[in-house]
Amino acid sequence: MEIYLPIAQMSVHWLVILGMGFAVGFLSGVFGIGGGFLLTPLLIFYGIPPGVAVATTTSQVSGVTFSGVLTHWKRRTVDFKMGGVMMVAGLFGTAVGVWLFSVLRRMGQAEFAVSSSYVVLLGAVGGIMLNESVRTWQAQRHGQTGGGRRSGQHNWIHGLPLKMRFRQSRLYISAIPPIALGFAVGVLSAIMGVGGAFLMVPVMIYLLKMPTNVVVGTSMFQVLFVTSMATILHAVDNYTVDIVLTLILILGGVFGVQYGVRAGARLRGEQLRFLLALLVLVVAARLLYEMVIRPADLYSLTVATP
Amino acid sequence: MRRAVFLFLAFWAPACAEENLTSGLSQDTVQITSNYNGTDIVVFGAIEEPTERDVGDIVVVVRGPDTPMTVRRKDRIAGIWINNARARLILPSYYFVSATRPLALVAPRDTLSRYELGLANLHADPEASDGDPAPYVAALVRAQARTGLYRENFSGVEMLSKSLFRVHVPVPAAVTPGSYNVEVYLFRDGTVISAQSWPLYVDQTGFERRLFDFAHVWPLFYGVSTVLMAILLGWASTFFFRRRT
Repeated sequence: MEIYLPIAQMSVHWLVILGMGFAVGFLSGVFGIGGGFLLTPLLIFYGIPPGVAVATTTSQVSGVTFSGVLTHWKRRTVDFKMGGVMMVAGLFGTAVGVWLFSVLRRMGQAEFAVSSSYVVLLGAVGGIMLNESVRTWQAQRHGQTGGGRRSGQHNWIHGLPLKMRFRQSRLYISAIPPIALGFAVGVLSAIMGVGGAFLMVPVMIYLLKMPTNVVVGTSMFQVLFVTSMATILHAVDNYTVDIVLTLILILGGVFGVQYGVRAGARLRGEQLRFLLALLVLVVAARLLYEMVIRPADLYSLTVATP
Repeated sequence: MRRAVFLFLAFWAPACAEENLTSGLSQDTVQITSNYNGTDIVVFGAIEEPTERDVGDIVVVVRGPDTPMTVRRKDRIAGIWINNARARLILPSYYFVSATRPLALVAPRDTLSRYELGLANLHADPEASDGDPAPYVAALVRAQARTGLYRENFSGVEMLSKSLFRVHVPVPAAVTPGSYNVEVYLFRDGTVISAQSWPLYVDQTGFERRLFDFAHVWPLFYGVSTVLMAILLGWASTFFFRRRT
């Protein structure tokens, strides 16, 4: 059955969209990721204009993340001070990102910006994860315990000024790295339509050396605010948020997450990371392929909306 | 310019023409509702006092509002296809032309161009970043024809008798709302003998229209309510699943 999307101004099969929401929700349940980086390319492949795909995915991510933040809040696994610092920086980053996106849209380069940042970031993150999971696998086969995290060791982060105490994370570090990270994730969120956890979580663990138990809750807290802000700013600056599309995606997504969490509980950590890395690389390769092959029609038409 | 010529003909020419033209539309508004999937309107009319030797040719044109459009061309730069050049042009959002015979047989090229009859004779006012606008205009016409918004039909005017004619004008699902114009011409020996023009209104109605207006008139409230809806749905789902498990 067809349904007309008022902002995308096109008819879509609502069952296909519901299915996409479910599939992405399922994967985010399995891997514990937001899924924005899968949903935006999927919507673009289906024919939704890139601007609408990016902006609508941010609203979907904020909806799906909210219940996660509540859960972590109850378990007291959110570092509100760390999250707050990152969130404020993230809101500035989002504003810059949305502004950048509308400039790129006027130049006709929005599609290229979205695709190329996906290829670069997903390629890098997927490559690192694949490498790491394969090494863990090999190390286990040879009966080694692996490198492990040496906490308390000092790196270049500790040389920076503006030190702050983050009690929940048991850290006394400079505020500059969290601010830079929050800002970067805000920009990416606005341009790519992602929450940014795939970038934030590794940096929090390996660079900031935050305890793993507060990492997920804190990143979710940041993601909730940044994606909400990105949605509102995209609605104001670009008129690209489609509320009907959001509704269908969330309905599919919340069911998908529930089944995904149950399926994910049966898989081991490094297996999960290996599969996720493959998935990330496949998405990156598909987008790269689109950019490299000769398009069917070299010319594309944009009708100015009144 | 075209409008001025047209108005002149519409009001002055019929008065002094020997033969006359009467025409009308099956409906003067098209309502786009949530399940709108395209419709047909009918333009009909009669040539009054047709001469024995030559009835003449009827040409019917329907135009949407003039809309600024941008056509971009991708070029291969460092192995990647990227939008490199663009042209801005102003053309109707919808264009349909139909006649009793191919237009080339109806009138000479410069007459067709003056009245903008036929997809090859549209005045696009193009401004291309790399000089030659012709391929951009052609690409635009190609893209619009794919979605059914631009259409030429050289056998679409049915003559029901010697003087009565009828044309079915398809209005596809992708039309933009606005004020359209239906023009009916009577050609004889390559010149316009008589012409008439009718307004046609295309309106978006219903729930989708209200959402579209809401998003464009109060974008801040629209953005905030989208986020609130998303969060509420996400939150409500946790209660739903908690009761089941």
